[in-house]
Amino acid sequence: MKPKIIGAVILAAVAAVAGIVMLFTDSTQVTALNGYLGGEKIGLFEDEEIAEYIKKTYHITFDYSRAGSLDMVTADLSGRNYLFPSSQTALEYYNEVHGSAKADEIVFNTPIVLYSHKIVADALEKQGIVSQTDGVYYADMEKLTTLILDEKQWSDIGLSQLYGSVCVDTTDPARSNSGNMFAALLANSLNGGKTVDESTISAVLPKLKEIFSRTGYMETSSSDLFNQFLRMGVGAKPIIAGYESQILEYAAENPAAYEKIKDDVVVIYPSPTVWSTHIYIALDDNGKSGIEALVDKEVQRLAWEKHGFRTGDYSSANGKIAVSGIPENVTAVMNMPSYNVMKKIIDELS
Amino acid sequence: MKFIRAVLAAITAVGVIASVSGCSGASGITHGETLRILSGSENEALSQILDECEKKTGVNIEMTYKGSVDIMQELKSGAPDYDAVWTASSLWISLGDEKHIVKHDESICTTPVIFGIRQSLAEQLGFMSEQVSVKDILSAIENNKLKFCMTSATQSNSGASAYIGFLYALLGKNSALTNDDLASPQLREQIKSLLSGVERSSGSSGWLEEMFLAGDYDAMVNYECLIIDANRQLVNAGREPLYAVYSYDGLSIADSPLGYLDHGDSKKEDAFKKVQEYLLSEEVQSEIEGTGRRISLNGVSAQNKAVFNKSWGIDTERILSPITMPAADVLSNALNLWQSSFRKPSLSVYCLDFSGSMKGEGNQQLVNAMKQVLVQENARENLLQAGEGDVNVVVTFDRKVLNVYTSESADADSLERLYESVREEQIGGGTDIYTAAKYADNLINENYNPSDYTAAVILMTDGVSENTNQIAFEKFYRTSGGDIPIFSIMFGSAESD
Repeated sequence: MKPKIIGAVILAAVAAVAGIVMLFTDSTQVTALNGYLGGEKIGLFEDEEIAEYIKKTYHITFDYSRAGSLDMVTADLSGRNYLFPSSQTALEYYNEVHGSAKADEIVFNTPIVLYSHKIVADALEKQGIVSQTDGVYYADMEKLTTLILDEKQWSDIGLSQLYGSVCVDTTDPARSNSGNMFAALLANSLNGGKTVDESTISAVLPKLKEIFSRTGYMETSSSDLFNQFLRMGVGAKPIIAGYESQILEYAAENPAAYEKIKDDVVVIYPSPTVWSTHIYIALDDNGKSGIEALVDKEVQRLAWEKHGFRTGDYSSANGKIAVSGIPENVTAVMNMPSYNVMKKIIDELS
Repeated sequence: MKFIRAVLAAITAVGVIASVSGCSGASGITHGETLRILSGSENEALSQILDECEKKTGVNIEMTYKGSVDIMQELKSGAPDYDAVWTASSLWISLGDEKHIVKHDESICTTPVIFGIRQSLAEQLGFMSEQVSVKDILSAIENNKLKFCMTSATQSNSGASAYIGFLYALLGKNSALTNDDLASPQLREQIKSLLSGVERSSGSSGWLEEMFLAGDYDAMVNYECLIIDANRQLVNAGREPLYAVYSYDGLSIADSPLGYLDHGDSKKEDAFKKVQEYLLSEEVQSEIEGTGRRISLNGVSAQNKAVFNKSWGIDTERILSPITMPAADVLSNALNLWQSSFRKPSLSVYCLDFSGSMKGEGNQQLVNAMKQVLVQENARENLLQAGEGDVNVVVTFDRKVLNVYTSESADADSLERLYESVREEQIGGGTDIYTAAKYADNLINENYNPSDYTAAVILMTDGVSENTNQIAFEKFYRTSGGDIPIFSIMFGSAESD
C-alpha cells in the first residue's frame, strides 16, 4: 500500500505543479501589442468587454498611441507592432514609404458624414442643398461645394445668428483621414461629381486649395473635432465632417447625454459619400496576430453595436440602434480617387 | 494638494512674474498614486474642487501652472515630468503633441474669451447692445475712450485669442489669417497703435484678474468665468462691476481639455481616469458650473442660474461664433511678431539677491533663470525674446544696492553682456529686500515714463531678509502710488509661503 500512497501523493504534486505551470503560461502567453490608432477607434480599444474577450480568446492586449492616419505612417515606428489607420490611402502611403506591409486587412467600414445642427440643416434644406428621404438627411455635394467656394455668408442663407462664411470644418487633410476623405469628396464635386483621376485632378486643385486656405487651423484627430462639435455649439462648429460611427458610439456610450442633444444634432450623408475603410496594418509577426482577433465575429458584433462600425456581417439592417436618421444601407457611394491622385491632393494641401 | 512653483515659465519678457502662492498637504490622508498635472493658471480657481477630488479618489494631485505657449513647448519635448496636461484650449495640445503622448483628452468645461468693461462706461460707449464688433471696441480704444488690460499673447491663451481676434477685426476678415496678411504695413501700424492702449499686460489670465482687482482700470480681456469671479469680488467691495461684451466677430472659446500623458505607467493611467471621471461626474460638473464655467450647450442648470448674472451682461443663450484660428505656421509668425515688435515695450527691473544666504544652489538657480530670460537664443524658444524698445535693468543687492546694469536694446549681444554681469557678480553680506525694491521703483519713475512701457519689478530672492521691513515697504508702496507691479520669485532655501 505504501508505494501506492506515495504514488498518489507524487501524482497530486505533479498535477499541482502542472496546474501552476499552466496558470503561469496562461498569463505569460498574453502578447501586448502596441501601435498607432486613429482617434475615432479609441472608444473601441478602450472598451473593456472587447479587450477582455480578445485577451481571453486570443491572448492579446492592444496598447496604442493616437495619431492621424497619414501622420502615423511617418511617425517613429520603433517598438510598434501595428498601425490602424482609416483608409486605403494610408496603407498605400505606408507601402510606398516602408515597402509592402507584413499583412493588412480591412476590419471595419464607416461612411464619411456631415454633422450639423438643426437650425443649419433647416436653412440648408430651404436652399435645396439638403433633402430628407425616409427620415435621413442627404446633402447635394455639388451645390454645397459651390456655396463654400462662392464664400457665401451664413447670413446669406438666412442664418444671421452665425458669423462668417459657410464652411465645413474638417481635420487636416494632409495628416488625418476624415479631412483627407472630405477633401476627396470636394475634389470629386468640383469635377462634376465624377471621381477625379490623373487627367482631371490638375483642373480641380486650385479651387480645392482655395477652399482649404480659408479654413486656418485644423485638428489632426477626428475624435477631437467631434468632441468640439458636441461641446462648443453651433456658432463654433456649424458643420463638421466626420465618421458615421462617431455619433453611434456616442449614443451607445452616453445614452443620457445623447438624449439631451438628439433634437439638435443632425447627421447628413453627402450624396454620394465615400467609405472609410479601417484597415489594420501589421508591422511584425506579433502585430499579425491582431488581425484574427479584430475580425472575430464577436468583436465585429460589438464593434457595430457599441461603436457604430459597419462590418461585413453587421449594419443597421440587423440590429437596433438608438440614433435616428441613420439609413439601413448606405448606397450612394462613390470611389475614392487613386493613391497617386490622393498624393497630389495631399501635396497641394500640406 | 501641492503647488509647484514654475519659476522659469512664470518669467515673461513683458515684465510680469507670478508669485504663485503655495500650500501643501491639504488633505494629507492619501497614500495613492500621484498625478502631476501641467495646467493653465485659470484652473487655480478650481483648487477646492481638486482638494475634494484628492479625498474622493485617493489620488494625490500636483498642479504646475504654466502659460499655454510653455505647455505647448513642454509637450513638444515629451513632458517627462508630468502625467497629465490641462490647457485652456485644445489648440495648444494639438500644436504641441508631436510625440503622440496625449490620450483620453476631454473637455472639462468651456468659457469664452470676452471683454469686461466697467458697466457705466460700457453703457456710455453703447456696448450694451447685441451687435458689438471688435472694431467698435478698437475704435473706442483708439479714441482714448477706453483703456484695457490683457494677458501676453505669447504666454497665455486668452491673450493669444484676443490678439488674433484683433488682427481679424483690423483686416475685416473672417476667413483664415495668412502670412501675407501679417506682412501688411498698414496692419502692423494699426495693431501697434492699438496695443499701445494696453494698460497692463500679464503673464496669465488668473494673475491678470488679480492685477485688475488691485488696480483701477476700465476694462480687461479675459475668460467669462474670470470676469464673473472678478465681478463677485468687485460687488462685495462695493465697486462697479464689469459688463460682459461678446463681440460677434472676434471672440474665441476655451474648451479646457484634460488629457493623460502616456509614459507607459498603467497605474498613472488608472489614477488619471479616476480623476477625470470624478471631474466629469454630474455632481462635480455642477460645482464647476458654480464657478462660472459652462458645462453644457443646453444652457445653465437651475441651481447655478444666479452665477451667470444677466445684469452683468452674462449671456449663455446667445450663439457664440468664435474666430478661426490661423494655421500653425501663421500663428507662430503672429506670436513672434507680437513679442518682437507689436506689443508695448517692456521695462523690467530685476532685483537680484546676492546676499550670503543665496550662496551655492540659490545663486545657481538665479543665474540659470536669468540665462533663460536674457540669452536670446533661450528666450526665443519660449517666446520671451526682447523686442523693439524693451529696457532691461539688473539691480544686484545684499543689505544695500550693489550694482546696476542696464540694457536699452533688444540686441542679443547687449543682453548677453547683461547676463554675463549677473553671472560674474560676487556674493555679498546680509539681505534687505526692501531697500532694493524701493530703489527699483524710484529708478523707473525717475528715469522713464512708466506709461510708455509695461513696467515691472521682478524680485529674485531666497526671502531671508535680516530685518522685517515688510510693513515699512508696504507703506511706501501704497503711498508711492503702487502703480508698478512687483513680483517675487523665491529661490534656494525659500519657503513657498
